[in-house]
Amino acid sequence: MRLRMLATAAVAVLTVAATASCGGGTGGEPGTVTLRLGFYAAAGDPADTTMRKLVKEFTAANPSIKVELEVAPYVQFFQKLRTQIAGGQAPQVWLSDGVLVQEFAARGALADLSERVKTLDAADYHGLELNRDAKGRIFGFPQGAQTPVLFYNKKMFAEAGVDEPTAEWTYDDLAAAAKKLTKDTNGDGKPETYGFRAYSPGFTESWWPIIKAFGGDIVTDENRKVVIDSPRSKAALDWMLAAMGKEKFAPDVVATESMGKGAVHQMFATGRVAMSYGIYARSLPALSAGVDFGVAPLPKGPAGRGNVAIVNSWVVSKAASPEQADAAWKWITFFSGDGPQRAWAELGEAIPINKQVAESALPAERRRAFLDSLAEADDLGTNAVWSEYTEALAKRINQALSGAMPVAQALTTAQQEAQQIIDRFQASGPR
Amino acid sequence: MTLLTRKPGRVAVAPPAPLRGRRTGERAWALAFASPYLLHLVALTAWPVLASLYFSLTEYNLITSPRFVGLDNFARLFADEVFWRTLGNTAYFAVLFVPAQTILALLLAIALNQRLRAMALFRAAYFVPVVSSWVVVAYVADAVFNPQFGIANQVLGWLGLPAQDWLQDPALVIPTLAAVAVWKGVGYMMVLFLAGLQAIPEDRYEAAKIDGASAWNRFRYITLPGVSGTTFLVLVLTSITTLQSFEQVFVMTNGEPHGASEVTVLYLYRHGFQFFQMGYASAVAWVLFVLVLALTLVQFRLQRRWVHYA
Repeated sequence: MRLRMLATAAVAVLTVAATASCGGGTGGEPGTVTLRLGFYAAAGDPADTTMRKLVKEFTAANPSIKVELEVAPYVQFFQKLRTQIAGGQAPQVWLSDGVLVQEFAARGALADLSERVKTLDAADYHGLELNRDAKGRIFGFPQGAQTPVLFYNKKMFAEAGVDEPTAEWTYDDLAAAAKKLTKDTNGDGKPETYGFRAYSPGFTESWWPIIKAFGGDIVTDENRKVVIDSPRSKAALDWMLAAMGKEKFAPDVVATESMGKGAVHQMFATGRVAMSYGIYARSLPALSAGVDFGVAPLPKGPAGRGNVAIVNSWVVSKAASPEQADAAWKWITFFSGDGPQRAWAELGEAIPINKQVAESALPAERRRAFLDSLAEADDLGTNAVWSEYTEALAKRINQALSGAMPVAQALTTAQQEAQQIIDRFQASGPR
Repeated sequence: MTLLTRKPGRVAVAPPAPLRGRRTGERAWALAFASPYLLHLVALTAWPVLASLYFSLTEYNLITSPRFVGLDNFARLFADEVFWRTLGNTAYFAVLFVPAQTILALLLAIALNQRLRAMALFRAAYFVPVVSSWVVVAYVADAVFNPQFGIANQVLGWLGLPAQDWLQDPALVIPTLAAVAVWKGVGYMMVLFLAGLQAIPEDRYEAAKIDGASAWNRFRYITLPGVSGTTFLVLVLTSITTLQSFEQVFVMTNGEPHGASEVTVLYLYRHGFQFFQMGYASAVAWVLFVLVLALTLVQFRLQRRWVHYA
């Protein structure tokens, strides 16, 4: 009998030990609220340091709010987040990549911030309108904005005796200048420096704005209908293919991918290319490499510049208690205020969403190009299945751009496959 | 595996004596000692496996609770061209990798099964990639196979052959991945073969030599049957890990170029953890499980024809 009790006790102890580790306490002193705040940053990154400093300022000003930080590098952050949500353990407020806001919102993970946004003057902030979904709701409050512009290397332009880009540039001007800037110094038939970087696996700085500038489009009808299969999209991709092939003023897909993961974003900073489309964050590597560079608006295509933007945003978990949601909103408004926005702008990583701060804190020589591009930008086709449908598109378009599939066929297939993904989600029920 | 021991014609193990006569105390102790493992088995293996079986019959986005959809996920799966292509990619990888690694591991083991000075050093050298992480191996592989800066294209250049795009060429990506996987994995299998070789009694070779058997015949009729048990183990282990391979592809190509190296587990991972389709991903996992099980059963059935246990 004693032995049976012993065995039962052993089982009981183990069970308790196993369940205790799943619980996670939420208690605290009465009157205080604990807010778990998540954001992505590499450990020791200046963004990490600044964010921690701002959180300290915030809790000093709001003693009733206790903030627990959850920080991880980008990929790990979103991996963990999905399982946290599944387990009911998500932070109450977190920084979301702008393109993922609708993915989480459409699946019911996010609180609707529309009513709270009404208490602010929307005209004071960049990116709010881009964040409205098809029904006009806002699930993410802007944290920092990104939009591609044309980066150019002043030294390389001067050396080649080429006039610097202007706001009036067309795609023909871009091509003509890029040809003059392409240099094969050792005469092996392969240029060491190229005039322009056309292909990038990050399509925000590559085929997406180019297709739009040529008059094509990717998705319409509240981002539910894929329309990429058009002669205008084909003209855009043909222009890119010529740039990498016949005209040889841009590195081809294999050369770009051979540089290694992430290196495509360094091609401008390392002087491999004289011009490149780049979002605001690309200033950082160029500055730290000491490149003397300027930025100009994207060149004009037959249908304009094709400006797009990504607005990284604060989102609030639907599972947050009313007190936590209030505290989360307090944090969001704090972060959008003058002081924190200035501290964030100093990092030089994103366009501040506080319009006043953006006007004064952005470097004067780059301010207009970025702010004008942002003002004209469309969203990046965001919807509930953004990751999945854009991956399907990118797979086919990269096939076309590397010459593995004819452009027309790639566009037709891309459209079918992407549409199927969107339709499947729509069919799975109204949200 | 237990299925096979019940086949007719096999000597069944005698059932243990009935427990009734034993003291209950012993059973309690047994339970007490087994409980950590049992709890682990139930909580961390059996429960998740059963849960994933249930999820495979639902639409589950990780956020809202699962919605039962019957066999919809499986219907979609079998109609999905991409899924079949990932299976094809996986099979292609396996067909190249499993025999190549097994044969090379055996040859290396024979070569290193000598009494030479510094032999431990050679054995260790082949074992180093085994203990390296895939991230490190990916960097080494890039130094070799990078189309722009890699050694492989330099060597081809010296031989007057055209340069290749290796991991960026849809036709070459899987063979290149398989070659790298052999390089990384062969040391481990070599060690298994070394153990197998050393278990073959030396007197058999002596007897064969006295009878005038050639080196080839000694290999063919003594070594090969002698390591057939090890070979079987190596084949089963490599086949299973190959069908489940993920890390290498995730780190080295992430399915590129254009899906030419997208293996089934990568496809599963993307749907489950990136596209919020845990139900669909669970269905993929179960199809893969059935395939691995079937393959293993076939291997176990075939082994009777060629595996000799001394």
